[in-house]
Amino acid sequence: MEELEKLKLELKSLNSEYARIKEVPAEKRGEFGRELNAKKNEILAKIKAKEEELLDTEVLPLDITAPCAPNEEIPKVYSVFEGSKHPLMTELDRVVEIYQLMGFDVMESRQLDDEFHMFDSLNFAKEHPARDGYDTFRTEEGLIPPAHTSTMQHRVLKAYKDKLENDGEIAVVVPGRVYRNEDVDATHEHTFYQCEGVYVSKTCTMGDMLGILREFFEKYYEQKLNIRTQPGYFPFTEPSLEFMIEKPKSLGGKKGDFLEMLGCGMIHPNVLKMAGIDPTKYHGFAWGGGIDRLVMLRYGLKDVRHFESGNLNFLKEF
Amino acid sequence: MKISLNWLKKYVEIPVSDEELIRLIGARLVEVEGVIDETHKYDGIKVVRVESAEKIEGTHLTLCMVNDGSAELTQVLCGAPNVREGMLAAWIAPGATVPASVKEDAPFVIGTRKMLGKYDSHGMLAAADELDFGDEHDGIAEIDSNMAKPGDALADVFGLNDLILEIENKSLTHRPDTFGLIGFAREVAGILGQKFNEPAAECSLKPDNAIDIKIEGDNICERYSAVVFEKHGEIKKKYLTLTDTLLAKSGMRPIDPIVDATNYLMLLTGQPLHAFDYDKFVAVGGSKNPKIIVRLAHAGEKMELLDGKEITMNESDIVITSNDVPVALAGAMGGASTMIDENTKNVILESATFSLYNLRKTQMAHGIFSEAITRFTKGQPPYQTLNVAEACASLLKDGFKISSVSDAYDYKAKANVVEITTDEINRLLGTDYSEKKVVNTLTNVGFEVETGKELKVTAPAWRTDIHIKEDIIEEVGRLNGYDNITPTLPRHNSATKNKMLTLKREIRDTMKEFGANEVLTYSFVSERLLENAGVKTSNSYKIVNSISPELQLVRQSIVPSLLDKAHMNQKIPFDEFALFEMNKVYRKDLGFNDEEVPTEKMSMGFVLAERKNQGTAYYKAKMYVEKFLKRFNLEAEFKPLKTDVAEALPFEKKRAAEIYVGENYLGVVGEFRTGVKHNFKLADYLAGFEIDLDVLLSLETPKKVNNSFEIKDKQDLTIATKKTYAETLKEVREKYPEAEITPVGIYQPEGAEEKNITFHLEFR
Repeated sequence: MEELEKLKLELKSLNSEYARIKEVPAEKRGEFGRELNAKKNEILAKIKAKEEELLDTEVLPLDITAPCAPNEEIPKVYSVFEGSKHPLMTELDRVVEIYQLMGFDVMESRQLDDEFHMFDSLNFAKEHPARDGYDTFRTEEGLIPPAHTSTMQHRVLKAYKDKLENDGEIAVVVPGRVYRNEDVDATHEHTFYQCEGVYVSKTCTMGDMLGILREFFEKYYEQKLNIRTQPGYFPFTEPSLEFMIEKPKSLGGKKGDFLEMLGCGMIHPNVLKMAGIDPTKYHGFAWGGGIDRLVMLRYGLKDVRHFESGNLNFLKEF
Repeated sequence: MKISLNWLKKYVEIPVSDEELIRLIGARLVEVEGVIDETHKYDGIKVVRVESAEKIEGTHLTLCMVNDGSAELTQVLCGAPNVREGMLAAWIAPGATVPASVKEDAPFVIGTRKMLGKYDSHGMLAAADELDFGDEHDGIAEIDSNMAKPGDALADVFGLNDLILEIENKSLTHRPDTFGLIGFAREVAGILGQKFNEPAAECSLKPDNAIDIKIEGDNICERYSAVVFEKHGEIKKKYLTLTDTLLAKSGMRPIDPIVDATNYLMLLTGQPLHAFDYDKFVAVGGSKNPKIIVRLAHAGEKMELLDGKEITMNESDIVITSNDVPVALAGAMGGASTMIDENTKNVILESATFSLYNLRKTQMAHGIFSEAITRFTKGQPPYQTLNVAEACASLLKDGFKISSVSDAYDYKAKANVVEITTDEINRLLGTDYSEKKVVNTLTNVGFEVETGKELKVTAPAWRTDIHIKEDIIEEVGRLNGYDNITPTLPRHNSATKNKMLTLKREIRDTMKEFGANEVLTYSFVSERLLENAGVKTSNSYKIVNSISPELQLVRQSIVPSLLDKAHMNQKIPFDEFALFEMNKVYRKDLGFNDEEVPTEKMSMGFVLAERKNQGTAYYKAKMYVEKFLKRFNLEAEFKPLKTDVAEALPFEKKRAAEIYVGENYLGVVGEFRTGVKHNFKLADYLAGFEIDLDVLLSLETPKKVNNSFEIKDKQDLTIATKKTYAETLKEVREKYPEAEITPVGIYQPEGAEEKNITFHLEFR
């Protein structure tokens, strides 16, 4: 208690210091003020901590091993009818499960990575303008919250290299959370989910890539689908494509309506080489697409901002 | 980028419908983001001849009789100063819409109206800005009588019934050649299976290097050509030109003849040009003859740009200098000191290429996003600088003639050659294209192919992006249509399940069953949020370019974010709920892993909050831990919180416990400190837990059943004690090792020191 009083006195005397600002030469006033403010904030923080501490001393301890407090009923968990699972997570599980049935292992993506995995290992030339297209965040250390799940490609290739070279193939999907530095509105989030796929073998072709992707979406939407592609550009695939499907009936699609689902392409030989895989012997394909959009389409959801809102009115729908 | 289909059709013959063409461009070249339909924008606008023009006394108006090709003349009042007898003008007939207003909410439809109380004015004579061809409004647009006659539809004269494609630039990042209409047209020919007719590219300019050009620094400027134009006549811009309409359709504005010529050629060829006033250039440099030095800027060097802004340059900016005095920010914008104006006599036309890496930094640092820099940052190839300069001279020949040609081009780019077999192409694509088809596909768009054991493919000068076999494979696959590749399925083995994902899925199902709600919250939190939760902010990785202070720190645990969401939901109001989230967390004190990236943890946070409950929240949170762990066949022990653990988390030391399974520390469950509750403005009944899912995963235990399913005996047992529940339970267990023991209740009479703990025992 005494300590708190002392701190309060200190604050009082500090407040009177402000009056002295007139005596300080004009060019030094800014600095003087800043120093004073810093001191004041420090004392205020100490007072706050002390006050909180005092509040906490009034808190009574309890028997942490007991099932309930004396004379209270043993608590019950809430009713199953109140519970909900996040639709993005349910969808991600659904997507991953289909890929698993198709023979793909799963590796979850990191949420804080480095320049090497995000760009260098993916054949982005140093300081190439293509890096700008990803609007990445950066930490003070230069770390990057990844802007695409492709940040895991190099790791996937390295982890499965032995399997590939023992007459196997690499077949892995990578679900994960990714980040882009962009303003949020009904259709844009700075935080969203993607699922990456990587396939490498001695004999695979672009036809195989189109086949795998069509197969996935046909299983996902439980119907036959027409597909379409569009040339794209990613430094880590050559050739690069955008993949589209004809809008499924369950989503109210009409003939000729196409939905852009993901970007894909044949893995660039430099990407294989960097992971120690001989691109003259093996080739592969990779793809990556958003999960948020799948959920929005499935439920007819109009605003992507609901996902990270934490609002129970929204969550309890699921 | 905007592409006019009519302009495109001047360079390539299109045998398919516009709809099919747009589909093919989308499927084989680039994403078409949108199509602007201008096929009716100029309906009802005709070329007319002003047959008579009489000034109306005391007004600025002129009474005109115009000839629209029909038998009768039409009366129109016109306020423009340049209206005169005999001129051809664009007449917006009554009922037609002013083109510049078509995109507005209420397009302006022209009618017939009475003016000055007595004159009927039918329609109007239009200025260039009203026709949507720029900002010119000083007079009505005049049309060259060599191009049109009265009665012609304006749209037919200038090819205005057009579709404008809006192209997504991003997917052409590696294709600088397609940022010129000719390059785009070449690709269109290719995807239609035609050989592209290259426009004549002969260049008759022979450098005399009258201007001294010095490039200081490696790789900043591959080629710098400077052509001097000397004035010998006036370019009086009188008529509305085709160039005006093309610039407008491409999203640019006509400005003056020289600038228009450079912009037009940039749109056509992809090569940006810049015009300096020769005499100003020499004066600024203080040398007798112009001396161009291209170099990197000195840090802090200043220059005033064309737009009047003074910029401070960085060491990565490339500057064009006149004898070392900066006169242009290379690739981005010219300087004010050498700007051309109506008195310009001689011009230095710059046609150059610059390092896209430097220009990218310039673009970012100075926020300049012009059509020119967009092209330079794709890496324009150096082969055509002089050709384009010569084309510019030819456009301006009425006013200027070339007086000298200088060209600094030390490093002559070598042609890119790739050797590949048809089989290699088919093996990657999964196709069976013949060698002939491959060769035709490539030669249509300017590649040279020598056949033999292998195909020796030489890329044209504009394809600086061709280096490896895959680049050739892309061309063949793309130009023939990826959609013509048959989807097949490769072999696959059975997959291995991902244990963490499976665990999370089970937790998700379990927690839903227990009435909890899964949320997702951002990985980034504010300093304030962590302070409110009593978490050390210095242990968080900090985002330097965060969107807002709300999203500045990488979170170290899940619970603080949940407290924030609990507050929001309590306000809605929800009286009682339990939120949980499973996600990755990072803390600086966890250090880096073998890959030299931060060690990460998969964490699960849980917070329950009630507004009306007077009871002890701790026990409900503990109940969740126990019930939830039981699903994984684990039994937890609850131990007092160590001080260091307590300090790193928002939990109240006296009302929280560390969760252990055997020797393994799993996390913390408990109530929160009073200050934390206050900071988050949450009602008193509040508790939660945070557990490490990586540890939980390592504890996986299969379920074992006791094979005697029949209950032989049961009894309730009440013990009066001062000991803790756990200690008491231990004693009961020791006494009845066979029994299955569950708690029934704890009763403590008011004022009593002892409490009565009642257990239910079942014997099987």
